[in-house]
Amino acid sequence: MPPSERLPLEQVLEIVSALEAVVLRSFGPEGGQVLFTRDTGQAMLSRSGTCILSALHLEHPLARVVVESVWKHSRGTGDGSKTFILLLASLLRGISKATSRGPSASHAYGFTEAAKAAAAPYFANKLLELVSSDLDDLIAVNVVPYGFCVSLEDFTTHSGRLLLASFFHTRVSHVHCSYLSELTCEMLNRWKYKSDLPYISFQFLSDNFPALHTPVSGFPVSSSRLIEGQVIHRDFATPCLPSKQQPVKVVVFTDYMQPILLSTGDVLKLGYGGGVTPESSIVHFSAWTERSLESVIAELQSLGVSLLLSAVKQSDAAVALATQAHMSLVECVSEEELSLFVQLSGVTPVSRGCTIQLEHVAALSFCRPILLGGHRYVQVAFCESPKSSKVNPCSLVICGPGEGQTDQYICAIRDAVCMLMTTWEPKHTSETTASRGTLQSDKGTASLDMTPTFQSTANKPYGLKKCVFEPGCVIPAGGTFEFLLSRALPNPSSDTNGLPSVSQLLANALLSVPRQIYSHSPKLFLQAQTRIMSLVQNPSNPFSLGLKESTPGPMVDLGLESVTCKYQLILAVVQCATSVLRVDTVLHTRTALHTQSKKHTIFSRASTEDEAED
Amino acid sequence: MSRVEKKAPSVCTDLPLNNAEARRHELRESLAIKVNKHCLSLCTSYLQRDDCACRVKIDFSSSQNLMTLAGSIISSKPACLLTEAEKLHISTMAVRAFLQTIPCSSPGPVTLGQTVTVTVRGLPVLDSAMFPGLLVETHDDFNQTDSSSELLRTVLFSTSLAGDLAELGDGTIEADPNLDTDLQILDQLLELGKQLVEDEVRLCVCQKVIHPVLQQYLRSHGVVVMERLGMALMEPLGTLAGTQPVATLHARIPSTAYGRVKNLSTKQFGFKTMLHLQADGEAAVCTAVLCHRNETMLDELKVVWRKTEDVLRLTLKEPSALLGGGCTETHLSAYVKHKGQQEASETAAGLRCSPAEFLLGVKVFCRSLDMVARSLEHDGGSSAMDLNHAHHWTVSANASEEDMAGGLGLCGCGLVENSSTEWTFLNTEYAEFCPAPLLGDSCRKPTVLDSFTAKVNALQVAVETANLALDVRYVIKDVN
Repeated sequence: MPPSERLPLEQVLEIVSALEAVVLRSFGPEGGQVLFTRDTGQAMLSRSGTCILSALHLEHPLARVVVESVWKHSRGTGDGSKTFILLLASLLRGISKATSRGPSASHAYGFTEAAKAAAAPYFANKLLELVSSDLDDLIAVNVVPYGFCVSLEDFTTHSGRLLLASFFHTRVSHVHCSYLSELTCEMLNRWKYKSDLPYISFQFLSDNFPALHTPVSGFPVSSSRLIEGQVIHRDFATPCLPSKQQPVKVVVFTDYMQPILLSTGDVLKLGYGGGVTPESSIVHFSAWTERSLESVIAELQSLGVSLLLSAVKQSDAAVALATQAHMSLVECVSEEELSLFVQLSGVTPVSRGCTIQLEHVAALSFCRPILLGGHRYVQVAFCESPKSSKVNPCSLVICGPGEGQTDQYICAIRDAVCMLMTTWEPKHTSETTASRGTLQSDKGTASLDMTPTFQSTANKPYGLKKCVFEPGCVIPAGGTFEFLLSRALPNPSSDTNGLPSVSQLLANALLSVPRQIYSHSPKLFLQAQTRIMSLVQNPSNPFSLGLKESTPGPMVDLGLESVTCKYQLILAVVQCATSVLRVDTVLHTRTALHTQSKKHTIFSRASTEDEAED
Repeated sequence: MSRVEKKAPSVCTDLPLNNAEARRHELRESLAIKVNKHCLSLCTSYLQRDDCACRVKIDFSSSQNLMTLAGSIISSKPACLLTEAEKLHISTMAVRAFLQTIPCSSPGPVTLGQTVTVTVRGLPVLDSAMFPGLLVETHDDFNQTDSSSELLRTVLFSTSLAGDLAELGDGTIEADPNLDTDLQILDQLLELGKQLVEDEVRLCVCQKVIHPVLQQYLRSHGVVVMERLGMALMEPLGTLAGTQPVATLHARIPSTAYGRVKNLSTKQFGFKTMLHLQADGEAAVCTAVLCHRNETMLDELKVVWRKTEDVLRLTLKEPSALLGGGCTETHLSAYVKHKGQQEASETAAGLRCSPAEFLLGVKVFCRSLDMVARSLEHDGGSSAMDLNHAHHWTVSANASEEDMAGGLGLCGCGLVENSSTEWTFLNTEYAEFCPAPLLGDSCRKPTVLDSFTAKVNALQVAVETANLALDVRYVIKDVN
C-alpha cells in the first residue's frame, strides 16, 4: 500500500506562493530579470514567466500541474503567465482565509479539518460557475465601454504601437521596448494582407515564425532589422553564385534528382541465368541513373532555371552537373522554410518521378548570399505576382549580446504576435476558442470534468448571448481592467452560509494585480483606483475618447492591453484553481512519480523547441 | 563576424561594479540603465561624426595604416611569442595577402579571393611566406622533371574514383559467382582514364580516393595525380584552374570541364613537401605558409592570422580605424563627460531624474571607459590623461613629478608628443573639458590602431550586457 497524504489547502497555497515569489521579481513595469545558475556553470537570464517557471526543478506534482497550466495558457494567448500565478495565489489565499474564518459565522461547516477541506472545492465549483456563465457579459457591459477597438489601419499609429510597447515592457528590458515594438510593427505592416482580416496575417506570421527569423548573437539589439524576402538558413552547395539575370528562375525538389536504384532492403541480382551480357553489368545500372540525372538537368536548362532548392542532400554527380550547367543549388532546406517558400512563391515542388513543367518554376526578383553573424545564408526575394502583391514578404534578423538574450527577444516577439492573434480573433470563433482554451488547460490537470462550462452555458438565464468582444478590443493597462471588473462583480455581502461570496473573492484577487503593479508606491495605487472610479461615476468623461485622439493623457502612459487576453487569463486561472482544489490525495508511487517528472521535463523541453506546433 | 574584442568584458564587468558603487549614492538601477544607454548613444554618434578626433581614415593607396592595424592586432596576442622583426614580417604578409585577394580589374560587385593557410611546425617564423596560387601537401614522390612552366590541362573530380558506386543506394547487390562486378567497375574507371589521356590531361585531382590501378595507369601516361584533396581546397582549386569539378563516370567529360594550371613545382617546408600550383592569369587565390617553433604557438599564430584577415576585410566596409593604446577610451570618456555636463539639465528632464543623478550616472560610465585604458598597463605603472587632447599616457612606477613635468614621451597611440603640461591620473577626479582635436596635419602617424567595426560593436555589446546584469532582480541557484 503506497503511503498517501491529505492535501490541506495550506499546502497548496504554500506551493503557489513559492512560485509567486519567484515570478513577482519580474512582474510589472518595474520588474527585472531572473538569473538561474546551474552547478554546471550554465546561466540563464529571463523575464518571461513561462521561461522562469519551466526552468525551475519542481518536486511537488501540484506545482508541476500549475506550471503546466501556465504554460498552456501562455502558449494559447502569448501573454499573462506572471499574472496567472499572481491571480492564482491571491485567489487561493482568499479561499483559504474564507474557510479558516468560516466557523465563526457558519453553522453548516464545523471547525473540523474535514469541513475546511470540503469548503475549498465548494468555492472552486462556485467560482468556475460564475466565471464560465457571467464573466463575458460582465466584461462586455462593464469593461469594454471604457476601452476601444484598434483597427488594423490604426496599427501603424499610436495605439497599435502602444499595445506592443506595453507588451514588451513586461518581457524585455525597458531600454529595448520601443525598438522592438517599432520593429514588430514594421514587420506586421509589411505582412498585412490588404483584403483579409488582420487575424489571418497574424495567424500566418505565428505559424511561420520559425522560418521567418534569424537569431544573430554578439551584436547589439539595435542591429536587429527587417530584410526583404525570405532567408533560407543554408549556404549554397555549389561554388558559383546565381547569375545576375532577372528574374531568377527556381525549382524546388523534395527528393533526389538522381534516382536511387536500390533502397534499403532491395536486392539486385546480376548475371544469374544469362551469360555475361552488357545488361548484366553493374556499370549498366550506374550509367542509367547518371543518364536520367542528365536528362533532368537538361530539362531544367531548357526552362532557364538557375536556382535549385532541395530538401535533401543531392548526390555528388547532381551537384557537379548543376554547377557545370551554371545553376546554384541549396541543399537540406528545412521543411518549414521550404513550405513557406512554396506558399510565398506559389510554386509546386517537384517530387519523385514527375516531369518538370512550367508550374514547377517560380520567378524570384533576386537570390544572393547574405552574411548574418558569421554564417552565410541565402536570401531570396519574390517577384511581384498577383498572389504575393498583397504582402511585402520580409524576414526578421534579431540580434542580442548573447544567445540566451537573442532567444528571449525572439520569444517576446513570437508571443507578441500570438497575443495580437488572440486579440484580433474574429467574433464568430470566440466561442469555440474559449472552449478550446478550457480543454487545453484541463488537459494538464489530474482529474477534472469539463462539463461545468457547457452546463452553465446551457443554463444561462438570458439565452444564447455569447462572449462577444470586438476584434482588437483594448483597454488602458496599469490595472484598469482589474479595477473595472472587480467593481462590476456582484457584491452580496455574504451568502446563506455566512461565507463570503465567490464574486467577492474574485474581486479581491483581481485587485491584487494593480496592487502589485504599484507595489513600489501604495499612493499611486489609490490614485489610480480613485481616478478610475471617478470615471465610472462620471461617464461624461470617458478616457477612451482621449486615447482615440491620441493625446497622451495620464492613463496612456501605462500603455494598452488586450481585453480578450485578460478574459482568457481569468478563465484559465479559475480553471487551474478548481483543478488544484479538487485534488484530494496525492499518491506517491515511486515509479509513477519518477516517470511523471521525467515526462514533464521532456515535455516542456520539447515544447520550447518546437514552436510550430499548436 | 561577431567578434567581441577583449575590451568588452572589461567594460562589461566594470559598469555594473561601478554602478553598484553608484547605488550607494542612491542611483536606481533602472535609471543607471537609461543613463548608460544615453552615454552609449553619445559615444556611437560621436564616433560616426566626421570631426571625430579619435578616428583615422584608412587610405588604401598607402599601406601604412593597414600595416599599423595589422601590427596592433598581432601585438595584442602575446601568446604568439613574436619578436619585433617577426611581428613586422607577419603583418607585412597579412597586408600583402589582403591586397592580393582584392581583384584589380573587374567592374561591378567584386568577389574577394581566398587565402589558404598552411602551417609548418619547427621552422622559424621568418620562414613564413606568401605564395600566389595554391600549395597542396603531397605524400607521393613527385618527379621533379615534370615541373614545367607550360600550361597543364587539369581535371577536378568531386566524387570518389575508387569504384564504390555509392549512388546506387543502400540495397544489396547479388552477383553471379562467374561475374566479377569489381572488374566491371574497374574497366569502366580505366575507360575514363583512357579518355583523360586522350584529351591530354596532365593533372588529375580528386577530392576523394582514386583507385590505385587507375592512379598507376594515369601516372604511367605522364599524368600528375593528386587524391584525397578534401572539401576545403576544392573551391580555391576550382577558382585557380578556372573550372568546375566533374562527378560523372559514364558520360564523356565535356571539354569545358577542363581547367588550366601553370608552373607546377614542388616546395619543401621542413618535413612537408608541397606541390605549388599557379593560375594562368589573374586568379585571386594565394597561400600563406605560417611557420613557428612549436604546435601551441603555431595554433595561436593561426588564430591571429585569421583575426587579422577578418579585421582587414572589415575595413573594406568601413574604411576607418580607431586610435589604439587606450587613447580612444580616454578621449571618449572626456568627451562624454563634457557633453553630459553641457546638456545635463535637459537630458535629466528627458530621463525623469535630477541633473545630479544624471551626472553621477555619466561619471560611472566614464570611469568604466577609463578602466579599459588603465587595464592596458601591466607593469605596475599608472595611467594618465592629458587635459588637452585627452589621450592616454602611461607613467612608469618609479617616475617622479619632475619626470612628468619633463614630458612623458609619446601617448598610447603615438599620435601626440608631450604637447600638454597638464595631466590627470585616470583614477582621480578632474574638471570636465572639451578634448581638443589635433590641429592640422601633424607629420606623426599613429603607431597603434584598432578596428573600428570591432571596437564599436564591442562597446555596444558590453554596455548592453552591463545593462542586462543591472536588470537582474533575483538569482536562483540550482544545486542538483
